[in-house]
Amino acid sequence: MTTIVHPSAKLQVSPVGLMQRLKREPDLVIGIVLLVAVAMVALFPSLFAGQSPLSINIDKALEPPSAAHLFGTDDVGRDVFARVIHGARVTLSICAGALIISAIAGGGLGLISGFAGGRGDLLLGRVVDVILSFPPVILGIMVTGILGPKTINLVFALATVYMPVFFRIARSGALSEVGQTYVEAARSIGLAEHRILFRHVLRNVMPLILVQYVILFPLVLQIQAALGFLGLGVQPPTPDWGAILQQSKDYIVLAPWMSAFPGLAILVSALALMLVGRALQRRLDRR
Amino acid sequence: MALYLVKRLAAAAVTAILASLIVFVLVRSVPGDVVAQMLGQTSDPTAERALREFFGLDRPMYRQYLNWLSSVLAGDLGVSWTRGHPVWQMIRDALFVTLQVGFMTLLVGTLVGVPLGVIAGIYEGRWLDRFIQSFNLIGLAAPVFWVGLMLLVGVSSLFGWSPPLLYVPPSQSLSENLAILALPIVSLGLLQAAAYSQFVRQNVVSAFHQDYVRTAIAKGVPTRIVFFRHILRNIGIPLVTFMGLILIQILGGTVIIESLFALPGLGRLLLSSIEARDYPVLQGGLLVVVLIAMTVNLAVDLLYRVIDPRVRLT
Repeated sequence: MTTIVHPSAKLQVSPVGLMQRLKREPDLVIGIVLLVAVAMVALFPSLFAGQSPLSINIDKALEPPSAAHLFGTDDVGRDVFARVIHGARVTLSICAGALIISAIAGGGLGLISGFAGGRGDLLLGRVVDVILSFPPVILGIMVTGILGPKTINLVFALATVYMPVFFRIARSGALSEVGQTYVEAARSIGLAEHRILFRHVLRNVMPLILVQYVILFPLVLQIQAALGFLGLGVQPPTPDWGAILQQSKDYIVLAPWMSAFPGLAILVSALALMLVGRALQRRLDRR
Repeated sequence: MALYLVKRLAAAAVTAILASLIVFVLVRSVPGDVVAQMLGQTSDPTAERALREFFGLDRPMYRQYLNWLSSVLAGDLGVSWTRGHPVWQMIRDALFVTLQVGFMTLLVGTLVGVPLGVIAGIYEGRWLDRFIQSFNLIGLAAPVFWVGLMLLVGVSSLFGWSPPLLYVPPSQSLSENLAILALPIVSLGLLQAAAYSQFVRQNVVSAFHQDYVRTAIAKGVPTRIVFFRHILRNIGIPLVTFMGLILIQILGGTVIIESLFALPGLGRLLLSSIEARDYPVLQGGLLVVVLIAMTVNLAVDLLYRVIDPRVRLT
């Protein structure tokens, strides 16, 4: 059984050189370069930072940036550069994991809900409306408050916040696919509903979900950092960008480097993801 | 229109009741209740039973919910369990701070963002557009509280000034009030300006590619007139929708900014009442937040119909 895919569902990749692409879509190229750099840091932190992010040295507390400590040291003499570099993996994997959970759960529910329709769809839509009327940060605070400040709970909190977004996207995607001729054709040859849904409809809704994943990533990163900043996320001494900012805010005037660099790391990562996300969205819109 | 209004209000009422249920369940899911918080390490079963009875925590969950709902519908949010003040009074005071920050942020964001977006749209593809777009991207990528922190460092090292630590209401001293709110508003406003500018730019650019605009330009109408007569009028509608989104976003953003700048707003109230397991305050505060968001959405929808006659026909 072959799968039916819209010819337009495939993203066109034309064999143009990097330079040409740079000219046509400079933001995409910059975004990808930044993203690769951030990913390298997250995957292989030890390659970039020689010092341990956890080793304490009170004698060297609150030292400004120097050759020995590129980003300076914090209140207990830990190397801020090492903490920011090692924080990449902690922070980004929390965001990525949370988004995967919400894409699968929210997207899956939305897909089924939109495809099946009926009363269940109506009720789920209402619940999603209500959840969406909470500002994301406040919902995140509530859920981490309920579950307690632990890393795994933070992942679930972030997943809960963004589940409704995936639900809506997948639902509207499924709704527009249901009316297509290929679904009718598949039904007429007696294909089971779940097979039509997961074999064919899902294939065509997938690009929507994937693009949404990239677009939401910088937003999740910001909320993750905000919750960390409020002390509701990753707990010390684990290096996490938001948590580092929380610990350094009391030293903001005395040692601004403690706050400047982790924030900059969030900014650069979010920027990279936004640039790539925008380019992907443009392609999707062109379809 | 009247029928539509009735329908929308009925739907909103159903959603609000559902929201109250979700809020109630969320609040009761926070582990450990106010009694455990009050008694701390001591475990005196009699005291515990008495307190539980006093707060009505011994009754079944659905009864607690119905009691709360019926008093909320009668306009009574109850009394704080930990501070003894009426919940509505506490929320009102906190909401005032949050809304002041919110509206001033909206003002700053609009006054900076809309012109920037218009300029970027008019000069599409040129260096000015690129410059503004870079500002937008950085503004959107930077975490709000980090911008606040950096502004704090910036002004204290450049001007030797730091904002007062204690909140002063505008009724007491407007200048001191504004001094305290300046940095929070600028940091939130920067983000909103970036969002606004990006949105307006997109709309201006797509308007310029419309046939009627091309025709107007082709027949020699000056760009200035094309812009004010045709383009501005058409970006008004999406702008209203966007403003609603922004307002809700600001509501969330202020929560973090409040904790950074020690402002006694709604965010701080919610955070402290989670810690104290002060159910009435927490339930009331969350409900108010959701109701505000719903009202904004409803207002946007209605305004949309007023501005755009085409929507009314559908």
